[in-house]
Amino acid sequence: MFSKLVSRNSRRSRKENGLFFGSLLISIIAFYIILSLPNQDVMFFLTTMESQAVDKLLSLIPALFGAALFILFFLIYYASKFQLERRRHEFGVYLMMGMRRGRLFAMLLAEDLAGSAGALLIGLPAAFLLSELISLVTARLVGLGIIGHTMSFSPQAAGLTAAGFLLIKFAAFLILSSAISRQEIGALLVERPDGTKKQLPAPVYALAMLAGIFCLAAAYRMAISGRAWENIGVMGLTLLLGMLGTFSLFYGLRFPVSLVAAHGRSDRRLHAFNVRQIQETVVRRSGTLAVCSLLMLSALCCFGAGVAIARFYGSSQPHVLDYTFPGDERASGIAGIRETLHEHGLDASFSDLFEMKIGHIQTDRDYETVFQMEPVMTALQALPSSENRDVLLNNLSYATCPYLISLESYNALLRAAGEPLLSLQEDEAAVYMDSEWTNDSKSGMLNEILQTRPRTVLDGHDCYLTGTVQTINPVTDRSITLSFALIVPDDVFERRTGDRGSVYLDGVLSGTEDTSLMSAIAEMNKKLNATGLTYESYLQNIGRHLFYMVAASYITIYLAIIFLIIANTIIGVQFLMSQQKSNSRYRTLIRLGADSRTLRGSAKRQINWYFGIPSALAAFSSLFGVRALFSGLLPSSAAENRSEMMMISAAMIFVMCVIEYLYILAVKRSSDRYLLSLMVPRREE
Amino acid sequence: MNHTDTALTEPILAIDALKKYYGKSASQTKALDGITFQVMPGEFLGIMGSSGSGKSTLLNCIASVIAPSSGSIAIGGQKLQTLKGAALAAYRGKKIGYLFQNFELLDNLTARENILLPLSLHGVREREGDKRLSQLAAYLEIHEVLDKFPAQMSGGQKQRVAAARALILSPDVILADEPTGALDSRNAKLLMEKLAGLNRDAGATILMVTHDTNAASYCRRILFIQDGVIFHELRRDYPDESGQQFYGRILKVMAQLGGGSANVL
Ligand SMILES: Nc1ncnc2c1ncn2[C@@H]1O[C@H](COP(=O)(O)OP(=O)(O)O)[C@@H](O)[C@H]1O
Ligand SMILES: [Mg+2]
Repeated sequence: MFSKLVSRNSRRSRKENGLFFGSLLISIIAFYIILSLPNQDVMFFLTTMESQAVDKLLSLIPALFGAALFILFFLIYYASKFQLERRRHEFGVYLMMGMRRGRLFAMLLAEDLAGSAGALLIGLPAAFLLSELISLVTARLVGLGIIGHTMSFSPQAAGLTAAGFLLIKFAAFLILSSAISRQEIGALLVERPDGTKKQLPAPVYALAMLAGIFCLAAAYRMAISGRAWENIGVMGLTLLLGMLGTFSLFYGLRFPVSLVAAHGRSDRRLHAFNVRQIQETVVRRSGTLAVCSLLMLSALCCFGAGVAIARFYGSSQPHVLDYTFPGDERASGIAGIRETLHEHGLDASFSDLFEMKIGHIQTDRDYETVFQMEPVMTALQALPSSENRDVLLNNLSYATCPYLISLESYNALLRAAGEPLLSLQEDEAAVYMDSEWTNDSKSGMLNEILQTRPRTVLDGHDCYLTGTVQTINPVTDRSITLSFALIVPDDVFERRTGDRGSVYLDGVLSGTEDTSLMSAIAEMNKKLNATGLTYESYLQNIGRHLFYMVAASYITIYLAIIFLIIANTIIGVQFLMSQQKSNSRYRTLIRLGADSRTLRGSAKRQINWYFGIPSALAAFSSLFGVRALFSGLLPSSAAENRSEMMMISAAMIFVMCVIEYLYILAVKRSSDRYLLSLMVPRREE
Repeated sequence: MNHTDTALTEPILAIDALKKYYGKSASQTKALDGITFQVMPGEFLGIMGSSGSGKSTLLNCIASVIAPSSGSIAIGGQKLQTLKGAALAAYRGKKIGYLFQNFELLDNLTARENILLPLSLHGVREREGDKRLSQLAAYLEIHEVLDKFPAQMSGGQKQRVAAARALILSPDVILADEPTGALDSRNAKLLMEKLAGLNRDAGATILMVTHDTNAASYCRRILFIQDGVIFHELRRDYPDESGQQFYGRILKVMAQLGGGSANVL
């Protein structure tokens, strides 16, 4: 009998409360996704390139898991609370019939375990599929598209997921069931709305609201002025003000709502009822709503920042070269490399193989004065003051002994990249700057100056700068980052560098379009390892980039989704819970002749407000939050892209609003179903 | 002339062979087992019976809260079965007003908001109800509680507020299920006097279920039901017969009810 009751009850709760079951599934999936991070394709790949950084990231997993446990506990707690609250009456009846409290507890525990087992049974496979999907999608997103995907189920991750899930489920259960079993039977039997709590005088609420607005305004100011980043204290103060402001504002919302309730008259259907319901549900739970609003804000910030950072690090320089083989000083080195490649039949795999000559100036002068570009500096100084100009001025002041690049080899690179070639006179030079050191606006300033063909002095000879700033990296090796170099005609190059030049062999793989680039390079690496040649590949360089991108976007977006889901679930559950508690009100309305459309309309309006208030505040605050994050997190070189970044984050906020809307729809559906069940003339058994 | 005559004698509510069975054949409860009666406009009809005799079931069927197993209910000549959806909801709100034993006021609305609720449910502009609201409030002596919440009112005040809500749309029939069941005798008396006054002075048609003999003595006619059928009917010889005398006659029938022998009187 007992076990029958248990199994029937847990089956019923699965069926009746999709929201509850859904939140269980979400928790399981969220756990598994963190724990299976090391099994993601991108991570596998990155470990072969950037193992140290990856290790560092992976060592963060336990912390992330702990944080997720903590956050998801609230999700489970609220969902379970809803689940138990709606059965209060039933529990009261059991106790009335003489069921011992211990037995009730045992029954609930058994039900809880059965429910958890069911959730794990469905959730784990779903989590596995989802993490595979994420693996594929991230691979695509980071522009690999690429890696041969391998299915990778991790039993360890699954085990830890189950353990973590059961842990928080059990903790929530203990807290809730002890609260239930401490209540009087009579209190369990009557289903009643939260009742009218005692009210403070209206000015108190008005003051709270004002204080909230004031705190928020101060926090916004500190956030966008960048002062929040000055030190940890100011940052803490900003966050504290923001949180205090949110709580205080929500607390003070009682004031305007009760004003509307008392004075606003409208002939809208059920207006008074709606306002009173909103007053009760929205306002009496101001604390919860404030928490949810803050969670949504965190989600929006994480999401906006994550996507923006990913985009910034993702949009690095164009990819031209796949391989660079460093030669030695003797030119025969390059010939030797070519020969070795030929011997192993590998040269056919390259669509292009060319020499890249880069050299240091050989001179008997003091290195501080090998190169002087006074006209350029004065022209820069004459430009209107800007952050970019000052950075450029500072960087160029160190360019007193630039590297030289041979024109012929750089043109070969440009040809491979499909760019127009350079042509230089004997006394001319073009400027190369690494893309990490410049950006569109800096290059623009320089280009303007280069048009005037400024005269500089290179090792005592006149040298006129011309053309536009070149940014295509001459080698794949990131370790040779040339912040500023001069591209000069070949004989000038030979003369100036003497025996201090280095030669590299650059290669472009052929036919990488039809196979994935990653696997093509990985395969070629294997073959090259057999030849004993030293080489650098494109992937080693983007590895680091990729890593930042994956780490930043993965973690922030993950957190964003978790935050958003939790906030929305809590709001939804709270609404449905209070709706169920006021079921006698709805029954009365039906008896007074409310049709289902009127009731559903009323519930819809309440839901809109209930979700709308916290999400509107979150969206508004996020405008400041995301801006503050950008100014704090992004390197200054991304500064002039900030408007674009704001666009991205605005788009993200929009996407989040869509998610919000979907949630509202789901809760409305659930509420409709509930109200319809009230409409049906009493059950006939 | 004929026309007006028939219109006057046309019942406002006609119940015909109404049956309501609960459960399946083996353990079936015949809550209503073929009840037929009519309510004339301006009538104050009481329905009495012991607990479990089917009184609430009858009222709920009329209020369309539950569906009868067979038989028909017609209000103003319109059969209830033919009403669906919006028409049914409009029927609940406008043709009938319901007074509950436990008031069924919404506890988060003030008295005024509770009373005006039917207006906003049925798309009537609130201003139109203002005049009637103040008339009802004055008559039912609830002026001073209009801006209070139910928790701040006494039981009698709550029931009178509920009565105002039932009356605000001037329904054809007022259904009252044990309206004095949760009131002390003083408040019960006050409420019954108000209801009787409404019936006498404003011509309100009231159908009241009760097992309170005192309350029933305000009615003009009483139907006694037992085991789902009508087993007796009493008419007050108004105005010759006093409430006190009528009360005595009701008591006698009630005694018969306990004995279970029908139609002795
Ligand atoms: N929903 C129901 N399911 C089964 N039986 C019911 C239901 N409602 C009422 N009954 C039965 O119908 C009979 C009449 O009930 P009711 O009309 O409530 O009586 P009362 O005259 O006390 O108001 C009772 O025997 C009761 O047990
Ligand atoms: Mg009853």
